[in-house]
Amino acid sequence: MRIEEHPILDFNRGKPITFTFDGQTVTSYENETVAVALHSAGIRILSRSQKQRPRGLYCAIGNCASCMMVVDGEANVKTCITLVQEGMEVKTQIGKGILA
Amino acid sequence: MNRTADYVIIGGGISGAAIGYFLLKNGAKNVVILERNYLTAGATGRCGAGIRQQWGSEMNCLLTQFSCNFFENAEEELGYPEGIEFHQGGYMLLVSNEDELAQTKKNIALQNSLGIESQLLDVNQAKVLTPILDTGNILAAAYHSKDGHLNPFKTTQAFADAFIRMGGNIYTNTAVHGLKTENGRICGVDTSQGHIATDCVINTAGGHTNIIAALVGEEIPIYAERHNILVTEPVEPILSTMVMSLSLNFYCQQVPHGSFVMGRSCTNQPRDLRVTADSSFPENMAATVVKIMPALKNIRMLRQWAGLYDMSPDKHPIYDRFPNVEGFYVAAGFSGHGFMLGPATGQIMAEQILGLEPTLPWNRLGLSRFETGEMILESSVV
Repeated sequence: MRIEEHPILDFNRGKPITFTFDGQTVTSYENETVAVALHSAGIRILSRSQKQRPRGLYCAIGNCASCMMVVDGEANVKTCITLVQEGMEVKTQIGKGILA
Repeated sequence: MNRTADYVIIGGGISGAAIGYFLLKNGAKNVVILERNYLTAGATGRCGAGIRQQWGSEMNCLLTQFSCNFFENAEEELGYPEGIEFHQGGYMLLVSNEDELAQTKKNIALQNSLGIESQLLDVNQAKVLTPILDTGNILAAAYHSKDGHLNPFKTTQAFADAFIRMGGNIYTNTAVHGLKTENGRICGVDTSQGHIATDCVINTAGGHTNIIAALVGEEIPIYAERHNILVTEPVEPILSTMVMSLSLNFYCQQVPHGSFVMGRSCTNQPRDLRVTADSSFPENMAATVVKIMPALKNIRMLRQWAGLYDMSPDKHPIYDRFPNVEGFYVAAGFSGHGFMLGPATGQIMAEQILGLEPTLPWNRLGLSRFETGEMILESSVV
C-alpha cells in the first residue's frame, strides 16, 4: 500500500532494498524505516506483548515501545526510527527482548 | 484519627512499618504510624533493594542475618500470599585490587565464623554464576548464595497489612508539625490532621530524622546524603545474582520483571534533603556498568531518581532513646542499608521500647558510642 501519485507531492524513492521479515522477503526503498516498509507491505503486527497481544505501529517517532522488533539478532530495536538496510533480518519480537 | 495512642511511629517506610509490626507482635496495643506522604515515599521506595549478609563488621552481619532469615519466611509470618519477590539468587561482590582482596578474605572469615556461608570465587567461578560479567576487570569475587534482592514496596505493604490486621493504625498524608513535652517527657504529637496524646514516640523519618528531632531541640550525628539510581527497560532474565563492587563503585540487579536497577556513589551530592535527579549520573552509571557487564550496552534506561542515605559516623544504625526526652526513641542512621535491616530494626526497637530480652546486641548501637568512641567501623557501603 503506497501512494503512487499525489496532487502536490513527488516521491523520489531511493533505490530498492530487500530485507526479510520472519524469513519472508520484503522489498522497500532506501531511507525508509523498517516499520514503514513493513506497513506498506501490509504487515501490521510487529511484536507480541508479554500477554501475547499484538503490538503494531503506534507513535512512529521513537517514543513508545510498540514497534520493537528483533533486528539482526538485537532485540528491542525501535523499527519506526531504524532505516532499512539491504539483507537486514527483521523478526517479530515475542514478549520481552532477549539481550544478545 | 486517634486522639490518643500508646506508641506513635513517625515515618512510613520499612523501618516504621516493621517497628509497628514488632511492637504489636510483642504485645503492645494502640500503635499508630504517621507518614507525611505515602508508604515507601522516602528512602525505602527509592532503594536498590538488595540484601546481603556479607559485611565487614560482625554487627552488620548479625543484623542482616536476622533480616534475611525473616525475609525467607516473611510471606507466611506476615500473611502476604502475593509475595515479597524475595529472589535469593546470590550476591556477588567484585574484587578488583589486592587491598580489596585482602579485606574480602578477612570479611569472609568473619562471615563464616558467624554461620554465613559466603565464599571467595575465582574469576571463572564468578563467570559461571554471572555469565554477563566481563571478568577482565576483576581479580575475584565474594559470593553468598542466600543473599539477593526483594521488592521494597511489597515488603513494606506486607508489614503494613499485618500491622493493620493486628489493630494498628496508619495515617498517610499526615505530617508531624510539633512534639509536645512535659517535664522532659513526650506527651503528644501535633500533626496536620490533629493532635495525638501519647507518651511514646519513635522517630524513624530517614533523612528527615533530625528535622523531627529538632522539634524538641534534639539532634543526632547523622546527615542525609542524596544517592542516585536508575532503572532500564525490562528484558528476559539474564542476571540472577545481585552484583556490587566497592572499588568499581556500583551495584546492579535485575528485578523479577526484567528491569535492571543500578546505582553508584557520586561525588558532591547535596545534603539538603533534595531528591532531584543528578544530570551527570546516567552517563557515569552507564559507563561503569557497561564496562563490567557489556551485554547491557544497548539496553535503554527508563528513568532515574534519587533518595536519601541517612549517614551515621560509623555507617551503622542508631537504635536508642533521645537522651534528654523521656519516651522519645530513634531508629535512623542506616547509611544506605535501612531496607535490608528492616526486620532487625523492628525487632530491636520493640525489644528496646518494651523492655524485652535482646536477641541482637543492640546495646552497642546506641548514641553513647559517639561519645565514648566505641564506634563500629564498616567499609562495605556503596
